[in-house]
Amino acid sequence: MIVQSFIFLLLVSFKPAPATHVRAYDTPNDAGGSVTVKWDLSKDDSIVTKYEIIRIIGSPNGERVSAGFVLRGTNSYRDVDLKNGQKYYYMIRTWADGEYSDSEITPTPAIPKPQWFHTKRVVALVILVIFTLLLWYYLQLAKKGAPLWIRKIAGLEAIDEAVGRSVEMGRPILYILGLGAISDIPTIAGLAILKRVAKKAAEYEAEIIVPNYDPIVMVAAQETVKEGFMEAGRPDLYRENNIMFLTQDQFGYAAGVDGIMVREKPGAIFLQGLFFAESLILAETGHSIGAIQISGTTSVTQLPFFIAATDYTLIGEEMYAASAYLTRDPLALSTLKAEDIMKALFIALVGLGTIFESIAILTGAQGFHFLKNLFNMF
Amino acid sequence: MRREVPIAITFFTGVLLVVAFFIPHEPFGSLEQRFNDWYIIVSGFAMILGLDSLLLHHWNKVSRRSQDWFHSLSLILAFFITLFWGFYSGIHTGNFLSAQSTFRKYFYLYVFVPLQATMFSLLAFFIASAAYRAFRADRFEATLLLFSAGIVMLGRVPMGNQVAPWIIGFVLLLFAFLLYSDGRKEVDSLRRALKFGGAILSLLLIYPLAWFFLKYTAATAGWIMNIPQLAAKRGIFIGIALGGIAMSLRIILGIEKTYLR
Amino acid sequence: MRKYFEKLAQIDRRIIYLILFLTVLLPYLFKISLPMKPLPEVVQAYKEIDQLPPGSVVMISIDYDAASMPEVQPMLYAILRHCFSKNLKVVMLGHWPLGIPLGVTALNEVAKEYHKKYGVDYVFLGFRPGLAAVIINMGKEIRSVFAEDYWGTPLDSLPMMRNVHTYDDIAVIVGLEAGSVGDAWVQYAQARYNAKIILGGTAVVAPDWYPYLQSHQIVGLIGGLRGAADYENLVHHKALAYYGMTPQAAVHILIVIFIILGNLGYIALRRRK
Repeated sequence: MIVQSFIFLLLVSFKPAPATHVRAYDTPNDAGGSVTVKWDLSKDDSIVTKYEIIRIIGSPNGERVSAGFVLRGTNSYRDVDLKNGQKYYYMIRTWADGEYSDSEITPTPAIPKPQWFHTKRVVALVILVIFTLLLWYYLQLAKKGAPLWIRKIAGLEAIDEAVGRSVEMGRPILYILGLGAISDIPTIAGLAILKRVAKKAAEYEAEIIVPNYDPIVMVAAQETVKEGFMEAGRPDLYRENNIMFLTQDQFGYAAGVDGIMVREKPGAIFLQGLFFAESLILAETGHSIGAIQISGTTSVTQLPFFIAATDYTLIGEEMYAASAYLTRDPLALSTLKAEDIMKALFIALVGLGTIFESIAILTGAQGFHFLKNLFNMF
Repeated sequence: MRREVPIAITFFTGVLLVVAFFIPHEPFGSLEQRFNDWYIIVSGFAMILGLDSLLLHHWNKVSRRSQDWFHSLSLILAFFITLFWGFYSGIHTGNFLSAQSTFRKYFYLYVFVPLQATMFSLLAFFIASAAYRAFRADRFEATLLLFSAGIVMLGRVPMGNQVAPWIIGFVLLLFAFLLYSDGRKEVDSLRRALKFGGAILSLLLIYPLAWFFLKYTAATAGWIMNIPQLAAKRGIFIGIALGGIAMSLRIILGIEKTYLR
Repeated sequence: MRKYFEKLAQIDRRIIYLILFLTVLLPYLFKISLPMKPLPEVVQAYKEIDQLPPGSVVMISIDYDAASMPEVQPMLYAILRHCFSKNLKVVMLGHWPLGIPLGVTALNEVAKEYHKKYGVDYVFLGFRPGLAAVIINMGKEIRSVFAEDYWGTPLDSLPMMRNVHTYDDIAVIVGLEAGSVGDAWVQYAQARYNAKIILGGTAVVAPDWYPYLQSHQIVGLIGGLRGAADYENLVHHKALAYYGMTPQAAVHILIVIFIILGNLGYIALRRRK
């Protein structure tokens, strides 16, 4: 009992060791108004309750304000809502229950200011510049009429066949754009394929149904189908009512689309866009009614479901390539070419990185880390 | 004009946002956020378009008494009942989903929750039928996929380690039987010997493989998920990212305009 | 004999559905349970919360709705039990408006179990639209997004919120997910503000997070029913997820058996041809 009380007393009146090596600097790559404070943890970190960050304005003897708290084990803090150009000093107060000890004040002031360039995004900029140059080069080639080869994509080749088969069976075509908004690229890629499907449907005088999850996507789908019908010279066949909004509830949408499948029995079903957990619910129901199904998505987790349950699947970037593939527009094809070269560059980088890092780890030669260090720098 | 103006707007905002990505300084720093806010506001209004389309579509069906018009009527009724009940409950209790609101008590807990859970649980049934149908050992790649899928499925459940050896044993036994019966029909003696040898090898492998999977099914499943699965996924991700950049550039530069009339 | 084998390739889907239904139902009815060892990523999440000093604030985000309730709700209960038993404080919010009532129900229920007081031990913030904006702005000041709690009380009137302003005041964020909000938590709260994050979610979305775990962008991962069962096991309160594991295991094995049967039939058919 006595020993316990003694330990208790010791703990209560124990002053923790202060945090050391406190430094503060303008937070890099921000819009200003922020300072990053870092320190080395107190030696008694395990019994520390919190670290209080104290902001000192103007000079080391200036006004002191509590900027915030962090829990033990944390050694950095981002102080925000500061005035650009103002000098700030910092001090860390280490608390253990009711007791505290103060660190030294930072020797040099931190002055928050905004930056004009985000230095951590150099890699992105380099990629963008290389990509743009490649694009420009291939655009010039395409304008000169150089042939640009593109490999066969089975899923896209099958579009006409699917539409034709559906027409032979006298059934409508169902086009599902998934749960994406118009700001999602897969949705726009899905619209590009929709245009082709709509054009084919109009040529064969087939009915096309497009149930939507997002009202803006619905409007875009209406425009796309109308345009497809106009290109086929059959604007009279276009029915706006068939491109409708269902709901913004994921499984409500799945239930609604399944209902359409079971009632209307479409002969061809296209699932093109952004899909989540409802993907298999749609694809299996589609299979059960015997429709030919062509799916495409960039949601990697849903790809296995589509591959298992549908006849053709456009995997990720194949979907993005669809509009260029279908229109054979040389300008669009040239962007694919640029993308391919870029990918080859990436593969080379990944390969080189693997080789150099393996050598570095096996031999212990630090020099071989240069590629990793280069990317870590930016 | 009808096409040029939207393409010009797309070009301007696209380039602006790409530039803003590299500049933390205001007003560029918060530009992306601001555009997002605008988008949210616009999409809120677009909901009216959606509701208009939904109700009109079903009202047309009801008024024309077309096939299944009764479903459409029930949709329209459900729409308005939910709307008015929600409003009534919200105004009555001051909070649409507060514990006291009858809307939440009856509609949310006893209609909405079970319906959503039912739709989601359909997945279990569909996965079973899709797996049964799609996982056929018709090609080498498909067989590989089949085996890894089986191991991952078994490795992720508590009994997996105990069950896997039996399944592996059964599959190897089956293999041996198939090779043996094939070999018996073989005229060429070398091929017959090879097939019989394969059958014997399959039988011999039963014990070591069963022993391995008794101990390492979960570990093998983890390895499949963490190494080959992740590697393939990353490859696809990189492709999608590059495809996304190319697609975005096509949209910004006005090459891709299928979404415009 | 061969005829029977060939039939295995064409089992009617309705028979598959019926057998599956019974396989799920029976273990639940008889409450059969199986011993299992928790997955390391779940243990990591558990330890991360377990080592927090009493009084630390845990933020829990409800980013799922009724559809994923069977998988994710048990996680929420287990984590809440863990937090309250360790005297941690809980701030709850959500990005899926239709999941909010699920969060409120669980929070009130578990808080009652542990005799916790609203405003002192736990707070419910509710929902604000604008996902990314909400997460980013909370990093600057929680009050800039949630000036009041779910019931309209100003945050400054709630004792436990007085010192809670940004992610720096939150020991760990637990995102319970059924979609892509988890990525937003990592991209905005972790990457920008260095917040500590644990993600829990359905078995469909969880595999996407393993790269985050490898790169230490999240400090724990609770995936699917298995993850929830592991967590229940770790907090010694076996409930729905734990007993749900037996049907799940049985269904996994059943699917493997179906695949084998399908292939047997397929091989029989091919050999005839």
